[in-house]
Amino acid sequence: MADKELKESPTDSSDECSDQEPSYIFYRDRPEWNDIVPVELHEGPFPVVAIAYSDRFKDIFNYFRAIVLKNEISERAFQLTSDALELNPANYTVWQYRRTVLKGLEKNIQKELSFVRTIIEDHPKNYQVWHHRRVLVEWSGDPSSELRLTEIVLAQDAKNYHAWQHRQWVLETFKLFDHELEFVERLLEDDIRNNSAWNQRYFVVKQTSGFTEDIINRELTFTVNSIKIVCNNESAWNYLRGILSHCPTGLNGHPIVEELCQFLDYNKSEAPFYFSFLVDRMEEMMQSDPLKREVLLPKADQVLQLLATKMDPIRREYWLFLSRYLNSQFAN
Amino acid sequence: MGGKKNTIDRKMDDCKEFTKEKHAKYFLRCLNALPSSLVSLDSIRLSISFFAISGLDVLGRLDLLDKHKEEYINWIYLFQILPNCNDECLERCGFRGSLAATFSLENQDTSCVGNVRNKGSISSHPLDTSHITMTYAAINTLLILGDDLGRIQRKGILAGVKALQLENGSFAATLEGSESDVRFVYCACCICYILQDWSAINIEKATHYIVNSISYDGAIGQDRNQEGHAGLTFCGIAALSLMGTLETSLSLNQKAKLVRWLVSRQQSGFQGRPNKLPVDTCYSFWVPATLKILGAHQFIDRKSNRKFVLDTQCNIIGGLSKWIDHSSDPLHSYLGLAGLSVCEETDLVEIIHPALNVTKRAFEHWQKLVND
Repeated sequence: MADKELKESPTDSSDECSDQEPSYIFYRDRPEWNDIVPVELHEGPFPVVAIAYSDRFKDIFNYFRAIVLKNEISERAFQLTSDALELNPANYTVWQYRRTVLKGLEKNIQKELSFVRTIIEDHPKNYQVWHHRRVLVEWSGDPSSELRLTEIVLAQDAKNYHAWQHRQWVLETFKLFDHELEFVERLLEDDIRNNSAWNQRYFVVKQTSGFTEDIINRELTFTVNSIKIVCNNESAWNYLRGILSHCPTGLNGHPIVEELCQFLDYNKSEAPFYFSFLVDRMEEMMQSDPLKREVLLPKADQVLQLLATKMDPIRREYWLFLSRYLNSQFAN
Repeated sequence: MGGKKNTIDRKMDDCKEFTKEKHAKYFLRCLNALPSSLVSLDSIRLSISFFAISGLDVLGRLDLLDKHKEEYINWIYLFQILPNCNDECLERCGFRGSLAATFSLENQDTSCVGNVRNKGSISSHPLDTSHITMTYAAINTLLILGDDLGRIQRKGILAGVKALQLENGSFAATLEGSESDVRFVYCACCICYILQDWSAINIEKATHYIVNSISYDGAIGQDRNQEGHAGLTFCGIAALSLMGTLETSLSLNQKAKLVRWLVSRQQSGFQGRPNKLPVDTCYSFWVPATLKILGAHQFIDRKSNRKFVLDTQCNIIGGLSKWIDHSSDPLHSYLGLAGLSVCEETDLVEIIHPALNVTKRAFEHWQKLVND
């Protein structure tokens, strides 16, 4: 079977359905293009990773090469880029040329935003389309559609990295943070484990209020309430640690955190992320107060053994390493 | 037909059988031709050739290319952009990804196409420029194929890399019309490491950029303030290691936090971000390779990872897929296999150099080139 496939001509794709659309006329058959000599691509006698380009693809890119090499800035060149992008929206050269033509013809940016929006909706994980979107917004200076667009994309996939990146750029560049915390809270209500939303929360706090005492208390309360609902949520614990890194008390001593630990202790929580937090608290305390080592070291070790053998055995080697490490640091 | 029985068998087996020869045939097929449905890979074909050729190397079956090794090497060099006789436009040099602004490759200098004198061609247009990931993929693939890099235009390539570094230390992929982030910093570092010339990178700025992209949870994101992500974390840590700034740029606390974050990614295989499911084959490379660079790969549960990776094999056409019971693709096939080899010494696959992402055998070939 493999041998047969190996022998097939890479360019034989005449049965490609897109070529048979009745409405499509090849560029080579369009009278208004007969002044252009298409530039065909030859890669010599031994092409590797040859893609079985459809006839339509070859036709469009042969004319595209010709237009670029002659630097033609025209309405027909613009249309040609639309056709080329429809076949391959990942071709960064086509996007770049399209931007040159857009500028040269002083095209309407709003129309172009609609065009790229359709492509984003079809290809939400394509780097080039998001880059194009960003350049257009930079040109127009008008971010009014961006929060809505990213909201729609995130409604399909709440962790789409490109959408978050674009949203962060828009928020930061145009200072649009006013309702962002509410947006993040909505997403966390949908999925309390959405790490992208937790990250966005951190970003918003950092870029707006910063980590003042009041804000630290507000964020700790928010996170602690979330952990009380779902305890073994890595995103929430990471966020808690992120907030505590701005807090002079560290992992020990803040009343909101102490209350959380009492609560989880009382409820006999055995969540691995809680246990690893306990170990880190003990390590911090042993670091700052040598007198506590004798009591805390066996306790920390006990927790680590539980993690290694019972609660989180997939990370067994790691927890056992940590146990050896703490012993080497703090045993007399 | 018989599918149901297979599924049951698979569940009962501890591990799926490793179908090495099928994977080798899969990579050969990718090198030969891709179907028109994969036309979106058109501007990254050199990457695909890297996955397939390095994949054969990881499988220990590079011998399958012996008959046409020279042709593969010549084909890669076709994509190189050469400086013109006055050394103008040096910043365009490197290897092309897209051929959308390129005159026919074989017509530029008919005297030397398809033979050992073929070195590439001069840029046809300001948009006919290199793409840093393709330059990285081309140089790595040439090393794997045993080339001596003699036709590499060092001066042009280094000028091309240098032109892509931005004020904030990050790198763009192309001269115009590209985003910039830690992926391209990694590519720049691989190129300079292999060419043993760091004049093209402002190491201090690049290091600063990477360290600045560390998120509050300890991992590296696409940019400042972005969510930590295992693939980008690999790029950042591998880049620091290649630049030689890993030891000095991260505090012990930052390293400990990062190791915790990385080991927490293992579920059976690995996920790319906290709470992101299902696990995905490519993270079986990104996470263990990063841990290995940090000297912490002994914390991985190898057996669980091996089981997951083997479960993503496609037993019909060969190759590995992103998720169990999906269709295989070149990237996940390669990274899944490379991940097996990073995690453990196994007789399944060859050992990988974690930061450069080539086999130890290819790395030793490079060392020999440097020493000669």
